[in-house]
Amino acid sequence: MMPSKVTVHPSAVDRSPDLALVERCRRGDLAAFEELYRTYSGRLYSLALRMVGNPADAEDLLQEIFLSAHRKLEGFRGEAALGTWLYRLATNHCLDYLRSRAARAGQVTDTLDEEPMLTDTGSRRIAEQTVAKMDLERAVAQLPEGARAAFVLHDVQGLEHREVADVLGIAEGTSKSQVHKARLRLRAILSGS
Amino acid sequence: MNCSDYREAIQDLADGTLGPVRRAALQLHLDHCDACRALADDMQKIRAAAESLDDVRPPDHVWMQIAGRLRQEGRVTATVQPRARHMAVLAMAAALVLAVGASLYLLFPGRDTSAPGGAASTVAGDPASGDPAGGGNAAPVDPVQSVGEEFRLAEQHLQAGIAKLQEAAKADPNAIDPQTAATLQKNLAIIDQAIAESREALSTEPQSALARESLFDALRQKVTLLQNTIALMNEMRKGNSAAAAQLVDPGNKS
Repeated sequence: MMPSKVTVHPSAVDRSPDLALVERCRRGDLAAFEELYRTYSGRLYSLALRMVGNPADAEDLLQEIFLSAHRKLEGFRGEAALGTWLYRLATNHCLDYLRSRAARAGQVTDTLDEEPMLTDTGSRRIAEQTVAKMDLERAVAQLPEGARAAFVLHDVQGLEHREVADVLGIAEGTSKSQVHKARLRLRAILSGS
Repeated sequence: MNCSDYREAIQDLADGTLGPVRRAALQLHLDHCDACRALADDMQKIRAAAESLDDVRPPDHVWMQIAGRLRQEGRVTATVQPRARHMAVLAMAAALVLAVGASLYLLFPGRDTSAPGGAASTVAGDPASGDPAGGGNAAPVDPVQSVGEEFRLAEQHLQAGIAKLQEAAKADPNAIDPQTAATLQKNLAIIDQAIAESREALSTEPQSALARESLFDALRQKVTLLQNTIALMNEMRKGNSAAAAQLVDPGNKS
């Protein structure tokens, strides 16, 4: 199960470049680890930023993700592409963070709060022909955490619902429901309803 | 069938997983239902925009902190030729201090930025330190100059540049709004902490190339931040808030 946007090398191709880089990292080569960081940090930071919703927490998470990756590289065997392996690690860190934050705040993260006003046809339609990226980024940051995670993984990162379900530990139907509700909420925000 | 019966089909349409038979049935409904047609259009717009979002580059200090932690924990080793690295650091320091001088000139075009002890004069040659770069009459330096001395000089150059930049940044504290100033102060504090940690590591292992490299990484970050601060002040004075915002948040692609 490999998320499309993060699979650097298709499953059939030789992973020796990944393994060579990992081997250098295992030997304590900082330049090799910096190469790995430069290759994947943008993608993983974007994931963290959109999942947790603010830059300061995303930066802390990125640091944790790469420090954790450095520790765990010993166990990397190349079954998955390095990008996919890192992506899963990053997603798990983001989810742990969200669960921890929710526990502190006494919130539930795996469901989108039911909103009587949020219906399929309750919002005005989006006026523009296309949605501006910056507007969408701001709107995504306003989503509840559970819906945001499902939306980011599915619509932004390109995972299929079964993959989102696997990563988040929810049913596939719940993933579809969360993403749909997230889109409805985004529509309401973007249309100013 | 009513509108709610088409909810899942509209979602599948946005997901790109709607089969031809259900698509045809949905299309028949959309042809006669403005509300569902608007909903389907908007769901597809949101999906398309989400797919097109770009990756955001993390701030440079994140890598610096990661590298610092790995060094502190002894999980990495040097991989470069120390001598070559040292000379590269010296060159980098000189280039950065020249850039500092240029920043100061832009900020205070009427002021002489090459005053004794200032950044530019330090780069041109510092007789007190025996730097032969600009002092044509200075005594020749032993070609086997110690690595430690090279780093001491390089750090001296950077510190001189940082002092000048800090002085310039303090010259007009009201040029930046309080929220931005607080963000800059926070980043500065992070970098200062990294500098302090690197110094501590260097005091423990004075000959460690990694400790020196870490210290210079941190000093370079500080120079960059201060340069950006001054550039920000310039843009704010010119009323160019868009350029200022880009300086504060390079990932902001408005």
